[in-house]
Amino acid sequence: MSAQKKRNFKIEAFKHRVEVDPKYAEKTWKILEHAIHEIYNHNASGLSFEELYRNAYNMVLHKYGEKLYSGLVTTMTWHLKEIAKSIEAAQGGLFLEELNRKWGDHNKALQMIRDILMYMDRTFVPSNHKTPVHELGLNLWRDNIIHSHKIQTRLLDTLLDLIHRERKGEVINRGLMRNITKMLMDLGSSVYQEDFERPFLEVSASFYSGESQQFIECCDCGDYLKKAERRLNEEMERVSHYLDAKSEAKITSVVEKEMIANHMQRLVHMENSGLVNMLVDDKYEDLSRMYNLFRRVPEGFSTIRDVMTSHLRETGKQLVIDPDRLRDPVDFVQRLLDMKDKHDKIINVAFNNDKTFQNALNSSFEYFINLNNRSPEFISLYVDDKLRKGLKGVTEEDVEVVLDKVMMLFRYLQEKDVFEKYYKQHLAKRLLSGKTVSDDAERSMIVKLKTECGYQFTSKLEGMFTDMRTSQDTMQGFYASQYSEMGDGPTLAVQVLTTGSWPTQPSTPCNLPAEILSVCEKFRAYYLGTHTGRRLTWQTNMGTADIKATFGKGQKHELNVSTYQMCVLMLFNSEDCLSYKEIEQATEIPASDLKRCLQSLACVKGKNVLRKEPMSKDIAEDDAFYFNDKFTSKFIKVKIGTVVAQKESEPEKHETRQRVEEDRKPQIEAAIVRIMKSRRVLDHNSIVTEVTTQLQSRFLPNPVVIKKRIESLIEREFLERDKADRKLYRYLA
Amino acid sequence: MHKLGRGHRDKVQQFMAITGTSEKVALQALKASDWHLEGAFDFFYSQPQIRAVTDSRHLEELYNRYKDPYVDMIMVDGVSLLCNDLQVEPQDIVMLVVSWHMKAATMCEFSRQEFISGLQSLGVDSIEKFREKIPSLRAELKDENKFREIYNFAFGWAKDQGQKSLALDTAIGMWQLLFAEKHWPLVDYWCQFLQVRHNKAISRDTWSQLLEFAKTIDPQLSDYDAEGAWPYLIDEFVEYLFENGIVQRRN
Repeated sequence: MSAQKKRNFKIEAFKHRVEVDPKYAEKTWKILEHAIHEIYNHNASGLSFEELYRNAYNMVLHKYGEKLYSGLVTTMTWHLKEIAKSIEAAQGGLFLEELNRKWGDHNKALQMIRDILMYMDRTFVPSNHKTPVHELGLNLWRDNIIHSHKIQTRLLDTLLDLIHRERKGEVINRGLMRNITKMLMDLGSSVYQEDFERPFLEVSASFYSGESQQFIECCDCGDYLKKAERRLNEEMERVSHYLDAKSEAKITSVVEKEMIANHMQRLVHMENSGLVNMLVDDKYEDLSRMYNLFRRVPEGFSTIRDVMTSHLRETGKQLVIDPDRLRDPVDFVQRLLDMKDKHDKIINVAFNNDKTFQNALNSSFEYFINLNNRSPEFISLYVDDKLRKGLKGVTEEDVEVVLDKVMMLFRYLQEKDVFEKYYKQHLAKRLLSGKTVSDDAERSMIVKLKTECGYQFTSKLEGMFTDMRTSQDTMQGFYASQYSEMGDGPTLAVQVLTTGSWPTQPSTPCNLPAEILSVCEKFRAYYLGTHTGRRLTWQTNMGTADIKATFGKGQKHELNVSTYQMCVLMLFNSEDCLSYKEIEQATEIPASDLKRCLQSLACVKGKNVLRKEPMSKDIAEDDAFYFNDKFTSKFIKVKIGTVVAQKESEPEKHETRQRVEEDRKPQIEAAIVRIMKSRRVLDHNSIVTEVTTQLQSRFLPNPVVIKKRIESLIEREFLERDKADRKLYRYLA
Repeated sequence: MHKLGRGHRDKVQQFMAITGTSEKVALQALKASDWHLEGAFDFFYSQPQIRAVTDSRHLEELYNRYKDPYVDMIMVDGVSLLCNDLQVEPQDIVMLVVSWHMKAATMCEFSRQEFISGLQSLGVDSIEKFREKIPSLRAELKDENKFREIYNFAFGWAKDQGQKSLALDTAIGMWQLLFAEKHWPLVDYWCQFLQVRHNKAISRDTWSQLLEFAKTIDPQLSDYDAEGAWPYLIDEFVEYLFENGIVQRRN
């Protein structure tokens, strides 16, 4: 190999110009134009994609992009105008079908064209800020077909007409509808909205406005709601089948507004079928439907709630102020409980346990229960009745259920201290007469009260139980010590009551028969022997006695009587006939009590162990009483006692209320002092608010009473007014 | 005087000579002005009352003139005589002002201490001087602050010693007297209301608050505020006025 001279290879730039045939562009365009025509004429199969692509590519490369683009626009537009004519020519139902078909064709064509012109789409279009091919195709379709004046209105009218017919019950071609609406969506959401959705909503609004008007004239509330619900479901289904998803919220709110919101008041207040009737008749399904429908509209819930609340308040009010109802306290409370149960169930089943409705129920109850100031007394009497006999044989769980329900009512009371007073009285009577159905039930009630109101509320009540137990032990001890000496004397059972725990009773005079007196004294001596420093007072108005009596024909009965009655009856051991005055003198029992006692002995059928002359019902000063030899009863044991808890008479009620008011004064004062001690200086209104808050678990203090207490405290120099600001009070240490 | 330094003593002398007052007053004024004579004069002359010198012997004589023969107090007769000498009626309200100056514990009685120190503070030691003072005492009732003090003083003075509250009749009498001076259009209704509705003694708080009420609330009750922490008796009075149509209720 010979060494060859190295040569530097140089590759020179391709210098010579490619000569473009001036007619080149036109020729190339013609090819492409032809291709477009063929495509639109469904003749694309004969075309070579690769060749066309190259042609388009070359045009753009040689800077003929503009010609290509504008040519595309012109050609396509021309085709679309032809298409428009054919669509316009379609008759009746074929209109939509034709439109749909042509749309499909256009899309296919567009895709092919886009593929062919892809190079232009990617280079020429963006740099010259032109609309991309696909989008261009859609826009041209929109402008030439959809917005052509012959088609635009017709399209909309056709669509709306179909929907209207479907609403009226006809079956329509949903697939076709879907395609059309999808087409509109594809053309741009503003097209869909302007050319279809907005008119659709308007038309729907007037449709439903009309329909709802029609329904409401002829349907009752429940039916109307069913129809409304059905329409609502229909529309949602419609959307899911052939409308754009975004339309759902809009159309449902149209239906809600037209069918529900606009007629809410009328529906709710409809006579014989409105909300109130549904509540009264426990129409759970209808109520549930109303709840679900109304929740969709503003103010829906509050409308239901307000009507329900005023209905409850009205019904409750009628219940508590109806004088007939007030005759039987137990029935009164039972009705309240029933009412609560009923509405609890409604809220639970139909209103989805909605808290706001529960609150409305609670506030209504609180409102009307406190309209009757005897409610605390009656609730206590109800419990008394249950614990005395109503809960006999009831299982433990059921007892708890009943007591829990009563506690619910108790919570609504504003004057809980009044309840406490009555409960104490009634409990005392129950304990002393031994007439309680179950100790466990009693205790359970106390525990509930303690949980609700705190230890102080129940400490005295518990003291009463303790006294009963202690008394039993005391009696055992007494009899053990007296064993040898008792003999034939009457058997004594004593309950020793601690004064503070039991309701205060004035001790009344009463002369006990000699036999009783002696054994009582023995007990007193025994008791004071073991408990020095205490004082015992016999409460003759609270005791009972069992006496064996023999009547005219030798029939023996055992009479269960009160202590007073015993004193009276024992007098007849030595006399056959006694006048009222003689009895009064001998027993020294106060007149009103004595009269009641004699009435129960002489004037009650089946229990008249005494005979009275004259035979009137009332006791007069000069009546005479005889032992009723002719008394008969099918029972051996006859109960004549009168120590049952009853609804108080007017004067008694007045007295109790006065005592309650008196008890409240120191509580209010204590609260004021507590507050002022920690705050030092406080203005009047704040004191009133704080005192009310502190005491609200027991009762609602009257602002006037609070003011009087403040003034009393000023008198006693616990507080003073501020010198500069007379509304301010100062604590004086 | 012997406790003071010489400079101070001189100043006291000078002060007394120029103003004609007692040593006590001079000391007071000079102490208040930190022993500057000019300041002391300013202080002295800005005092509303010019304390004149009183002769304690004369005061003793006066006291004895009115004193009760059996008790070391001026009692009803003595007071009667005093009023006579002063040429005023016993129920003239100026006697209340006098009692106020004397810090008298109870009406129609003056103790020795009260009488003498009262007259001293008024700067009178003879009946003539006392009589001359009467118009200025009467004028004191026109002063807002003094009237309030006198009014509040009247409560303790008019009530029974052992009681906390003022008997209703006495209170009504006092109110009518006092509100004749300081005119309050509702005073008659107030007294009427109390007799009809209340019929119990009046507490101190109610007494003093009534003046505030009369001063601040106009007779048409347009600025009466039910939340205004007025004593409950006044609230009830307002209700009474509305109920009987004496004042129109506002919404």
